[in-house]
Order: sequence, then C-alpha cells, then structure tokens
Amino acid sequence: MTIGQGIFLVAVLAFAYYATRLRSTRSDRLIYVCLAVAGFLLVLYPGWSTGLAHLVGIGRGVDLIIYLFMVFSLFHYAGNASRAKQLERAMTELIRQGALDTARPDSQVRADADVMRVMSE
Amino acid sequence: MRQTAAIQYQRAAQARTPQIARADVCVVIPAFNERLSLATVLEALAPLPYRVIVVDDGSTDDTAAVAHRFNVCVIRHAWNLGQGAALQTGIDYALRLPMTRYVVTFDADGQHRADDIPRVLAPLELGSHDVVLGSRFATGAAAIDVPPLRRLMLRAAVAFTRLTTRLRLTDTHNGVRAFTRAAASGLNITQNRMAHASQILSRVAELGLRYREVPVTVQYTPYSVAKGQTLLDALTIVWDIATARIR
Repeated sequence: MTIGQGIFLVAVLAFAYYATRLRSTRSDRLIYVCLAVAGFLLVLYPGWSTGLAHLVGIGRGVDLIIYLFMVFSLFHYAGNASRAKQLERAMTELIRQGALDTARPDSQVRADADVMRVMSE
Repeated sequence: MRQTAAIQYQRAAQARTPQIARADVCVVIPAFNERLSLATVLEALAPLPYRVIVVDDGSTDDTAAVAHRFNVCVIRHAWNLGQGAALQTGIDYALRLPMTRYVVTFDADGQHRADDIPRVLAPLELGSHDVVLGSRFATGAAAIDVPPLRRLMLRAAVAFTRLTTRLRLTDTHNGVRAFTRAAASGLNITQNRMAHASQILSRVAELGLRYREVPVTVQYTPYSVAKGQTLLDALTIVWDIATARIR
C-alpha cells in the first residue's frame, strides 16, 4: 500500500465519522471553501497535482484529482441526504398532524368525544 | 344539568352498542392502494370486539372509501409516506384515545388471520410481556404458499436481526404485533418505509422490552405476493438502515 492509498482510506473513514457524528452547516461550508480553494490552486498550478501525487506515491496527478473528486462527491452526497432527510421529517410531521386532525372516528370514539365535550361545557 | 345530559347520552350510546366493544384494544391497519383486499380484512375483524384504525397512506385508489363503509376510525395521509409512517400515525391516534391499553398492528393485504389477534394479546394481558411478535416460522405456526425466494429473504433478515439486536426471533418481518400502551409510546418509528420493521426490533432491544413470539398463520396469495417486498426492496431497506445515521 502506498502512502496515497493510506491517506485515501483514512479520508473515507474520517468522512464516514464526520457524516454521522460531527456534521454542521458551518463546518460543511468550511469544507466546501477548502475544497474550492484546492481546486482553484490545482487549476492555476497544474504541476502541483503531479508533484503531490509523486510525493504520496499515487503516480499521476490526474489520479490524485480523481481521488479528491471521489471524496468531494461523498461529502456532497451526505449533505444532500441530510437535507432530504430533514425535509422528509418535516413533511411526515405535517402530513401526520393533518391526518390526525381530520381523522374520522368510529361511532364509539365519536360518542365518547361528544360526552367529553358536553361534560366540559 | 349538563352533566345529566351527558350521562343520559352515554347511557343511550351504550344501549345502542350493548356489546361495549373492548375500547382498550386498537388494531392499526396501514393501507396503501388496498382497495381489493381491505374490505375482506375489515369484514373478518368486524365481529371481533376491537377498535380498528385504518391509516390510508395516500392511496390513489378508493381505499379510503372502502374503509368508510365500516364503523372504523379512518385516518388519511394526504401524501404517500410509507408503511412505517402510516403505522406511527395509527399508533399516535391510538395513544390519543385515553382508553387504549394495547396496540396491535395488522396488514391490509389479507395475509393475516383475525383470530390470531387474541393469541398475540394473551401474553400482554397476563402482564408477562410488553411486546408480542407474530411469527410464521415459529413452531406451531403456518406459512402457506411462501414463494422460495421470499422465504430466503426472510431468513436472511432474521439472521441480520439476530446479529445486530441479539433478539432471539424466528420471523422479523411479520405484520402482526401487539404492544402495551407503554411499549407503543416508546416506539417512535422514524423509518417511514419498510425499514420500520427492523427499527421496531431495534427499539425493543434498546428499551429492554419483554418480548416473545407467538406462532401465527400467514397465507400468501398472488395478490399479497405482488404487494410484498422484492429482493430490490430488501436492498432499499438495507440502504435506509445504513444511511439512517447520516446527520
């Protein structure tokens, strides 16, 4: 195993920990900015990716960029999944409350409710 | 004066329904596009003294209309959320009724037998258990016309559950279950779709509820098989469980 592979594996494991334990909107934004800056620098200085790749034993600079992209994609997926889940939770709550409020009771529940209402008046 | 009117009303209501139904048992039936089977299921439950709560999970057919023909509680999701969400809505409704002591879950596709309900309730009424799970594979149970692939999937799910929850079970995806009020209150199902079955068992393990299986009959029909879960659905369940931890 090369150094690069080791770093990549650690990155994926760290990502899994981050996605399930640490995530917050603020840290998400920070990571986005860091990734954007890294991408920007790699475009400005194409030699860097090759140099960096050789340094960690990956081989080609393109491979390093592909690996970085994979980590970025995972990160992006987790962000979307988390947002989708929040929306789903909110939607479930809304639909559930609406359903409970408009439920049709059976005759006995209705009668009990009538009695309760009359008694509380 | 008001009080007298209320008491008179209550007496009149009791006179109309002399066989005071057991308001302490709620049978929750989640139903999504079950127009064809729901009437048969509700007819089978009608002679039994239980309160029935049908949760129409945003069906696009006239499932709700079928339910409205019966003297049952009908709750309708405005949008299809999934069986787990429908169960939780039905349980919420049952818990809003102060008389409820036991909550039973039951499928709408006609594969369960109504006379299994007293059998899953019995251990709760004895006070020996908090949760009773129906099993089609326990000794004394009957699983009729199970397609071989379905059987294999169910076995795999049992092995998975034993590994993750350490519950000793023979059937983890059976729609017939019974809970005491306290156990039902602790469920809080957040897995909207089919992964709710696994989530219920995780909760049973987490909360340390006293559980047992009771043999029940599951009759597979071409209809119930078509409505049931495929291998691809099983993958979705695994996916839902795996991604549930993303914050």
